[in-house]
Amino acid sequence: MTRLPAQRKKLFFFLSLFVLLFWLVTVQVRHGRFTFMEKPVLAVAGLFERVITWPFKTTVSVGKQYVFFVGAQRENRQLRDENDRLLLENAVMNEILLENERLRDALEFKRLHPPASIMTQVIGKESSPASSTITINKGSRDGISAGMAVISAEGVVGRIQTVLPGTAKIMLLIDPGSTLAVRVQRNREDGLLEGKLRHCALKYVSYYADIQEGDLLVTSGLDGVFPKGLAVGTVVKVTKHEANAFQTVVAKPAVTLSRLEEALVLTQ
Amino acid sequence: MRPRVYFIVLLLLIPLQASLFNPLSLAGIKPDLGLALLFIIGLIAGPAEGALAGIAMGLLQDIGSASVIGLTGITRGLVGLSAGLLGRRVLDFRSPSNSIFLAVFSLLEGVFIAVFMQVFYGSVPFFGLLAGRILPQAFYTGLLGFAILQLMSRRNFIAALQRRTPHKEL
Repeated sequence: MTRLPAQRKKLFFFLSLFVLLFWLVTVQVRHGRFTFMEKPVLAVAGLFERVITWPFKTTVSVGKQYVFFVGAQRENRQLRDENDRLLLENAVMNEILLENERLRDALEFKRLHPPASIMTQVIGKESSPASSTITINKGSRDGISAGMAVISAEGVVGRIQTVLPGTAKIMLLIDPGSTLAVRVQRNREDGLLEGKLRHCALKYVSYYADIQEGDLLVTSGLDGVFPKGLAVGTVVKVTKHEANAFQTVVAKPAVTLSRLEEALVLTQ
Repeated sequence: MRPRVYFIVLLLLIPLQASLFNPLSLAGIKPDLGLALLFIIGLIAGPAEGALAGIAMGLLQDIGSASVIGLTGITRGLVGLSAGLLGRRVLDFRSPSNSIFLAVFSLLEGVFIAVFMQVFYGSVPFFGLLAGRILPQAFYTGLLGFAILQLMSRRNFIAALQRRTPHKEL
């Protein structure tokens, strides 16, 4: 057998490597993304992340504290005045709350318990033309597990994808792998919202459904992950084609995901 | 370059890109540090080492960003290979033409991934993505690469690296 020259061997090695990668991608397109390597890689990267960002965050924090200290005395006086006013308001509100509870009991209404949640900070953002995820500073040690809903004050952020002891990765609403059961607030029309990287798209909406630009989309609660009624986004474009049984509905997320700093993980 | 240098660069890449580059973000667009470093590695070390570094870097980024594993591996491998082939002809590392090539590689990579997503994962807004993310990121990455190459050239870092790293051909 003749020996292949070294250059050809190298060429063959690289070609095989690329073929292997193509095969890997094809398998995932058919059967879904591989996730088995995520945890060890994210554990090591998370450790480095904390070490690298610690001095930077500490410096920024000290700087901010100094700036805030300058106006602190004046602000303190204002806050004291506001506190007195709020104490008075609080007493009135307590009365209203007690009255409300009495009325609820009287009407035998089921009491609404706000879902248990954990406040987290965003420590990393990853965005490519293939995915959109963020990393938060809390993980399984704090009671977070995969699949949990993540929200902010403005609305739905996404859901937990991978959990490590001290950090977790969130698949954002706009990630192509994200799907969410939503409802049009105005007319209660149900739909499935899919991530499209820069925005979201409402899938399987009948041609005859009444969807208009500016309609607010809220969670329907049908997926069993998100509580009902949370703001998800606003319809920005509706396109109808006569040849198609469904209409194309484009929605903009309610949360400005690129500027997200804190997120609330719903643990129940 | 030695394997341990690659190992450290790869491990630092994800946290640097995800956290420390956030302040550099303009309208949500960050320069791609990984691509800029890979381009420089390819120029210095040649196509073989560039392709290997690219594949390793891409795979790690795929895993770190919950993407389809292997997709960025392929694109980065090709970028490393192309940068290595380009390195044979580069005489001046401070030339602005290097940053134009880097921006073109970034653009081609973005377009490849966007087309892939469009074909296999439905209606990703291709032109919106091209105008709103891929093109600005390519431009920004080209600028970053230019800045890194200027810094490295001034300190004679590139010359030292070239002495230590033989340009390996395919």
